[in-house]
Amino acid sequence: MNPGGRAVAVDFVEDEFEEIGYPETLPTYSPHMDESAAARRRLGKGKPEGAEEKVWYDDEDDYKAPSVRSISGGRPAQLALPPPTTLREFIFQNMPSIPPLVYTLLACYTRFHRIGLSATVVWDEAHFGKFASHYLKREFYFDVHPPLGKMLVGLAGLLSGYNGGFDFKSGADYPPEVPYVAMRVMLATFGVGMVPLGWFTAIELGMSQWAAHLVALMVLFDVGWLCISRFILLDSMLLFFTFLTVFCLSKFHNQQSHPFDFDWWTWLAMTGISIGLVTSVKMVGLFVTALVGIYTLQDLWDKFGDLHLTPREQAKHWGARVLCLIIIPILVFMATFKIHFLILNHSGPGDAQMSSLFQANLYGNDFHNNPLEIAIGSKVTIKNMAFGGGLLHSHVQTYPTGSNQQQVTCYHYKDENNEFWFWPGWDQKDTVWDPKYGSHDPNDEEVRFLKHLDVVRLVHVPTTRNIHSHTIPAPVTKANWEVSGYGNATIGDVQDHWVVEVLGDVVRGDVNRYLEPKSATVDPRARIHALTTRLRFRHQVLGCYLSAGRTSLPQWGFKQIEVSCAKEEAGSKPAEGTIWNVESHWNTKLPPAARSLSRSPFLTDFIHLNIAMMTSNNALVPDPDKEDLLASKPWEWPFLSVGLRMCGWGDSQIKYYLMGNPIIWWGGSISLIIAAFVSVGLVVRRQRYGGGRGTRKPAPNSLNGDSGRNGAALASRPGDGLTQREWAQFWHVTRIAGGGWILHYLPFLIMGRVTYIHHYLPTLYFAVLMFAHLLDYFVFQVPSTASASLQAVPTSSISLSDLSSIPKIIRTFRSLPRITRIKVYVFSITVSAIFGTFWWFRAVAWGIEGPVRDTWGLAWRENWNIYH
Amino acid sequence: MAGTGKLRQRVPVSGRANFEYDRIQEEEHTDDVYQNPNNRHPIEKILETDKASVVVVAVLTALAFALRFYKINHPDQVVFDEVHFGKFASYYILGEYYFDVHPPFAKLLFGLAGWFSGFDGHFQFENIGDSYTQNHVPYVGMRALPAILGSLTVPVVYAIMKQSGYSTVIAAFSAAIILFDNAHIAQSRLILLDATLIFFMSLTIYAYVRFQKLRYREFTSEWFGWLFATGIFMACTWGSKVNGVLTVATVGVAVLIDLWGILDYKKSPSMDYFWKHFAARAIGLIVVPFIIYLSFFWVHFALLPTSGTGDSFMSPAFQETLAGNEMLLSAQEIRYYDTVTIRHKDTKVYLHSHVERYPLKYDDGRISSQGQQVTGYGHADENNNWQIIPTKALPETGRGRIVRHNDMIQLLHVNTDTVLLTHDVASPLMPTNQEFTTWPRDDTSRFNETLFQLSLTDAHDGEAWKSKSGYFRLIHGQTRVSMWTHTKQLPEWAFRQQEINGNKNPSEKTATWFVEDIVADETGEDPKERTGHQPPKVPKKMNFFRKFGELQLLMLQHNAGLTASHPYASGPLNWPFLIAGISFWTENDPQKQIYLIGNLVGWWTCVVALSIYVGILGADLLARRRNNDPIPEPVRNRLWNSTGFFFVVWAVHYAPFFLMNRQLFIHHYLASHLASALIAGAVLQFILSETINYPISVEAPTMRRHKRQYVDIGLKGPIIFALFCIAMFSMFVFLAPLTYGTPGLTGDQVNGKRLLSSWTLHFAAKKTAEVVP
Repeated sequence: MNPGGRAVAVDFVEDEFEEIGYPETLPTYSPHMDESAAARRRLGKGKPEGAEEKVWYDDEDDYKAPSVRSISGGRPAQLALPPPTTLREFIFQNMPSIPPLVYTLLACYTRFHRIGLSATVVWDEAHFGKFASHYLKREFYFDVHPPLGKMLVGLAGLLSGYNGGFDFKSGADYPPEVPYVAMRVMLATFGVGMVPLGWFTAIELGMSQWAAHLVALMVLFDVGWLCISRFILLDSMLLFFTFLTVFCLSKFHNQQSHPFDFDWWTWLAMTGISIGLVTSVKMVGLFVTALVGIYTLQDLWDKFGDLHLTPREQAKHWGARVLCLIIIPILVFMATFKIHFLILNHSGPGDAQMSSLFQANLYGNDFHNNPLEIAIGSKVTIKNMAFGGGLLHSHVQTYPTGSNQQQVTCYHYKDENNEFWFWPGWDQKDTVWDPKYGSHDPNDEEVRFLKHLDVVRLVHVPTTRNIHSHTIPAPVTKANWEVSGYGNATIGDVQDHWVVEVLGDVVRGDVNRYLEPKSATVDPRARIHALTTRLRFRHQVLGCYLSAGRTSLPQWGFKQIEVSCAKEEAGSKPAEGTIWNVESHWNTKLPPAARSLSRSPFLTDFIHLNIAMMTSNNALVPDPDKEDLLASKPWEWPFLSVGLRMCGWGDSQIKYYLMGNPIIWWGGSISLIIAAFVSVGLVVRRQRYGGGRGTRKPAPNSLNGDSGRNGAALASRPGDGLTQREWAQFWHVTRIAGGGWILHYLPFLIMGRVTYIHHYLPTLYFAVLMFAHLLDYFVFQVPSTASASLQAVPTSSISLSDLSSIPKIIRTFRSLPRITRIKVYVFSITVSAIFGTFWWFRAVAWGIEGPVRDTWGLAWRENWNIYH
Repeated sequence: MAGTGKLRQRVPVSGRANFEYDRIQEEEHTDDVYQNPNNRHPIEKILETDKASVVVVAVLTALAFALRFYKINHPDQVVFDEVHFGKFASYYILGEYYFDVHPPFAKLLFGLAGWFSGFDGHFQFENIGDSYTQNHVPYVGMRALPAILGSLTVPVVYAIMKQSGYSTVIAAFSAAIILFDNAHIAQSRLILLDATLIFFMSLTIYAYVRFQKLRYREFTSEWFGWLFATGIFMACTWGSKVNGVLTVATVGVAVLIDLWGILDYKKSPSMDYFWKHFAARAIGLIVVPFIIYLSFFWVHFALLPTSGTGDSFMSPAFQETLAGNEMLLSAQEIRYYDTVTIRHKDTKVYLHSHVERYPLKYDDGRISSQGQQVTGYGHADENNNWQIIPTKALPETGRGRIVRHNDMIQLLHVNTDTVLLTHDVASPLMPTNQEFTTWPRDDTSRFNETLFQLSLTDAHDGEAWKSKSGYFRLIHGQTRVSMWTHTKQLPEWAFRQQEINGNKNPSEKTATWFVEDIVADETGEDPKERTGHQPPKVPKKMNFFRKFGELQLLMLQHNAGLTASHPYASGPLNWPFLIAGISFWTENDPQKQIYLIGNLVGWWTCVVALSIYVGILGADLLARRRNNDPIPEPVRNRLWNSTGFFFVVWAVHYAPFFLMNRQLFIHHYLASHLASALIAGAVLQFILSETINYPISVEAPTMRRHKRQYVDIGLKGPIIFALFCIAMFSMFVFLAPLTYGTPGLTGDQVNGKRLLSSWTLHFAAKKTAEVVP
């Protein structure tokens, strides 16, 4: 890419070149980058003005000295320094590493401090600890969250020597053999990792050193993040990977000037991997994925308009994004499921969510002891073969609408209400009912195997009702007919008759070709097999098919899946929801059929499990009749109107209260509001005067009248606003922080499911970034006009060299320009407020011992139920 | 090419900024366009004359009247929502207060139409199918109003297109889509609000187009005239139906885009210029419409001075302004030791108690306190009597004995001599709420748990508690729960009466109660006379703005609350494709029915046009991003700005329905359908010809003259129009029996009319083949 060759006649604005003469007006100084890098990071945007501009002053250094190319993060490779001879030299050479190191050590302290204090199962440790046990025992379980986080919990258990034997009952005491402290420490390590990530992200976003310190301190001292990281929960991992994704994205953004470089590829791929990881912990990760997606779309739209990119380069850009941001994350996501299936190869509590074939391949499953071929009189459970399908179920409760007869549903857990008998239709004479023999007639020694087009009744074993349908609309899917349980062993009518239609067999293919319609006996090859034969049940009278969709019944149906009789146009393809197979099968007259089955393909299992997860996630809607005291509404979060008791509140218990550091939460939310106003103000201003400083020269008086609306920062700046670079940097950080916040917040407002305050924790990160960004914009990046600049007082250098002479520090401070002193004041006030509130509230995260009344002054807001 | 470098950044706003640019463009395409109007096709020349235009519009209007008035007296029965809107018209004539979610303008018009045609207001439009002729209702006069407005919509659509610079044929094409549309016709022939809404909405569009055309002659009287016209029509739209607020939003969006362009330094060098524009629009499009909107309500309140069906929706203060209101007549201050009956505001049950106790153990295994039951009971009964016991010292007589806001009281159940109590025991049905029970009066061990704070709604300190009008919450002193009830019944052990429990939510709106009656005072006498002889009460006055505010809030709440399912409700995604209609009315004997469904040809044409339009814009956007310039500037200008405005109209009248949870019907799409008809015309023009009438804006005297261009579609325009009209008309005639409700259809005919399987027509012949006996 030779920039010099493509300087075409663009209407450049003359005075943009003047900026080079004033390096001290660059918005950022940070010892972690030299100025050319600092300058470059504010580029990357501003394409519509002509992409050529940037090469004139930004990358000039790079072209002169291509050997000193940046290695990562926009930072140039350091010139090789001579090895340090003294400690002081060593420290100076590694100065940039000191703050993150210190913060990481502090994070270790806050996260690990008294981590094992409460020796009981706190809050959702009950769930996630249990899932870890399942991994260690390798039993198949089902949960709405993807498996990566829980596998890592399991790994922590494995590494700390936990044997999986504890059942993690909520509030129970940990027995001595459960190494809960070690497990908590391992998971809290993710919480420690958040702090340096915050620091480096701030650096990569081009914030000043001040702001970077602020971000790191806020991540360090928020009691919400602290509290949630200290237990056996998924949130620390979710937060860590969310932070990691933002970090990788910022890194990648800084590589934009060198496309297809090694670093560029690295960080693009890292972003993709990070997306995959965060989504594999909790589906909330999709929100940060959306952030990356929107960033990428805008980026590609800019590139699409860049006429200097050849079609080949365009294609390469698109291809790289598709590969790294779509394919890699999906592969990572699927890989976690693959590992999940590999580990969990024993039968467990989650079996019924999966297909019969999958279950049959789990150790400890008894399907292979069941008889193979289905006969009249067999007792069976019937599984829907659609993705996410459950077992046909009925229970004594009745429909409150329609026929008011007994409910028939689809259910995802195994109990005896899933059991049905195949009985012959009412019109067949020999309908003597004798469960003892498992046959319709004890005297009839001959077993009648079921075949294609046989007419049967499906009799519910516990209630003896017949599965029945009639011309009453189903309760939810009104277009279908209702299916209910009706009558008993002796009462019934033709509406109980179902025609068995065999669609084929998963293993044996089309078995109907062996049927001989004339013959009285059934060809053994045409018989219906448990697990593998795909069946449909057609209502003999109505012609509709027994069907289970994805619609859940309301609360009166316990949120189980609705079963209805679906009308079908003749000749159309059988709908997924109408296909069933026999799962468990009991028939005393038939021998158990030991056999080995082929495995169900991974992709099928993967889709199956994901659809099941989605279905049960959607069923987690708040029950209007039950008030959940722990749940809260999204609008209660930003200003911290509520908190959450994480455990019992007895005087002798160690109590944890999930809330945030009020200064950080309120400050973040307020800064979002201010940022909205500032952004609108700036956009309006650009519409009026165009982008860049002085590109259009308005009348000065109209300018002054206007600038008051945009706040002090603009008034305090020379010219009529921001330079192209300042604008690009401001806008980049604003959209990452603001866009990220909106993407993490709005979905909670829209979706109907129950929400808790910890759902706001990933969102909070973006509020924190915005907080620091705004302080940066209004205070820390305001250029100092006098010659002395921030460089004069790197705090660390004072502490090293001048510790002995405090008066000298004061004198140095007084001699600083006014703006620098303001910066110091603002910074110290903010930091003390953050640290002060953290110290005030530390007990809620470190554990409140003794009666809660003894800890004074915690209930700052009315709704915080700390005391009552 | 000099302008290339700027192309990508150009925002296609029309206005002064583009003069230079436009000129370049224009000259580039000089060869392609017809500069000389006399070179056009002879048909085009004839059609573009004013005379031809008048003839076309006259024919369209005459046809529109004919189609809308045809058999307007049929059916002579109440159809669909005439139940509501006819009733409201009668209330205006009678002067009885009613409540409805829609603003009053269109209903006032119906009242006026009824009054003109001699309706005395005594027919109540109770049920669909009630006969008008038997009840001597001049319904034709009332139906004529929407029919006239619906007919006039057609020439307005024509005028919008004509003013936007489209040729006569194209304008007629758009008008024909509305003219022959079964849904618009069916909706305009009945006493429904939509015809008014759509008529004024189209007028708003028309006025705004005229206003925009004058943008180079800003601040002239003409310019102001159309600005205010826009505002006035907008207010009428909004005042007709609550959906009209979308028209306000449309104009708002358009104005914002417009102002955004003016903000540019190049267009308004001084900010004063910008603020002048801003102020003109603020007055014309916010202040004026709002005053008009308010005036509708002022008339509304002025016409409805007496008590009616709407009373109970309103606050006590409001109700006391209505003559003959029960609350006004019998509200009385309550004193300590009065015996009262207390009712729940929403479910209207009395606070009740009886000697039976809660069972020790409930079915789900939870344990109760086994205290005396406190329930909600629907009927008058001795056990509903409660006496108010003070917790403070009282003077012997006089006004000091009045119970006031925030007083701490005890409630004594007179029959069992026990006082009301609640405690931290789960209620029978809801484990999260507290159980209410009673406790012997003389046992003071739990005195503190029997104290309740009386909190009157919207009250000031020291306000007296009144029967009927004093809505209140009863808040338990110790646990701060509010006494609450809900419609769930208790089991047999409590005689299936309603559960009363303590709700922990301090802001629960449904925890509101009122005193129905003062049964006796301290001495056991009837208290009616204690304040001496009272003069007959006159309705109180209330500030108009407070009335307006209260009604507006209630309208919003009730509108959002219309979530019950309706058999003919349909989702927004179905509307443009006509997936389902609404059955308005049926008559069994000759199997007649009215089914609201649009003209399939017209609606699907609109859908196709919309997708083509979006496709063109997308392609243009992508092409210009790559610095290609496929569309001549004037044509693009038309597509983005003029048609773009129609598209905004369509989108703003359509998209919000996707976010609404209330029940939605296909007639909510009619406004958007009208906008899509405008887009269909624009797209047809774009497809047929590259030529265009340009410029169409009125130029300022100081401006350099544009070279004029003229559209020339030629012969293909009229031919396509004729073919389209034939197709539209055939489809219209085919569906007409469903639109006019006559003639009756046999079952097989009904099946024939069922063009989409999702249409749920009545009297369809049953298919019997599938059913096996």
